[in-house]
Amino acid sequence: MDKFSLLQFRALLTREVREHRNLFIGAPLLLAGLIFIANVWLMSMIPEDILADAIEYAAILFDGLSPLEMAPLFMILAIPFMGVLYIVALIYLINTLYQDRRELSILFWQSMPVSNLKTVLSKIVTIAVVAPLFYIAILFVLYLVGMVWVAILGLSYDVQIAGLGYMFLAAVVSLILVYLSAFTTALWLMPSIGWLLLFSAFSKKTPLLWAGGVFFLSFFLEDFIFGTQFLANWVESRANPAQYLIFSFRDVFESIFNYDMLFGILVGSILIAGAVLMRRFAD
Amino acid sequence: MKKTILKNRYTLLLTILASYMLALVVEGKLTGREARVLEFDNPFFELNIRDFEGFRDRRNDDD
Repeated sequence: MDKFSLLQFRALLTREVREHRNLFIGAPLLLAGLIFIANVWLMSMIPEDILADAIEYAAILFDGLSPLEMAPLFMILAIPFMGVLYIVALIYLINTLYQDRRELSILFWQSMPVSNLKTVLSKIVTIAVVAPLFYIAILFVLYLVGMVWVAILGLSYDVQIAGLGYMFLAAVVSLILVYLSAFTTALWLMPSIGWLLLFSAFSKKTPLLWAGGVFFLSFFLEDFIFGTQFLANWVESRANPAQYLIFSFRDVFESIFNYDMLFGILVGSILIAGAVLMRRFAD
Repeated sequence: MKKTILKNRYTLLLTILASYMLALVVEGKLTGREARVLEFDNPFFELNIRDFEGFRDRRNDDD
């Protein structure tokens, strides 16, 4: 890939972020704000002596513990953000190519020296690599503000807070695991990404209804044409989050380079190729 | 062939869906893929979705 292509691709990613900043920045910011306000309200309800004991207990509990080993514990705190990211990804993927046709911006982009393949790839990279970065950055700020606040409270109650440093390190390491999990989730769900993009590029109205309707219809069709249920089996066999979430750095290689993951990417590629070809029907 | 597939959006969609289903069916036949079931291994309760009837019977027995 030459320098011009890289600049072109970067411009496409910038366009995606600017067009969907409410989904990628606004939604996690709102969630972080709500969580922060809820925490302030909860802390104000707890009596001071119990709060001081809790801070001291946490500091003693985490003091000297390896952040790498404690990191998976903090991944629980990221669940609301991951949930919002999944919903945002669904909304983004089902609307993105459909919106391009509806507002006729597809004609503008097709008149530019940008191929349909690059446009579709930019949307996949946006949801798999770029969007999780914003979520992680906002989570980091939330952790930082929370830690500073707890440290100030601890100092004001005159309790030992040295161990809170280890707690913060574990929280930061957990963010790397959350980001890796978001990336491997996108790879694992590549068939779903391809499916949503295909129907986003295909349908003239209500793309979500098309995507959902044909998804369930395909189960019946497979049973009717081939007399088998491999499609339903395949979907069911890939539905366990433990197959793609990463809880330790040792799991990264194994999670990405395994048969199920690579076959999923292959199947997803068929659907993504369909979405790229479908872009030629701009009406 | 290429002209027929790319004739309109419907022929293209049908081709892509047929390829997708064919890939899954062939892979399923070759590997003998079966749905994995959720099995929880813990001392408090056991749940095997495939053996849901058995789970219900055992609960009734306990009651």
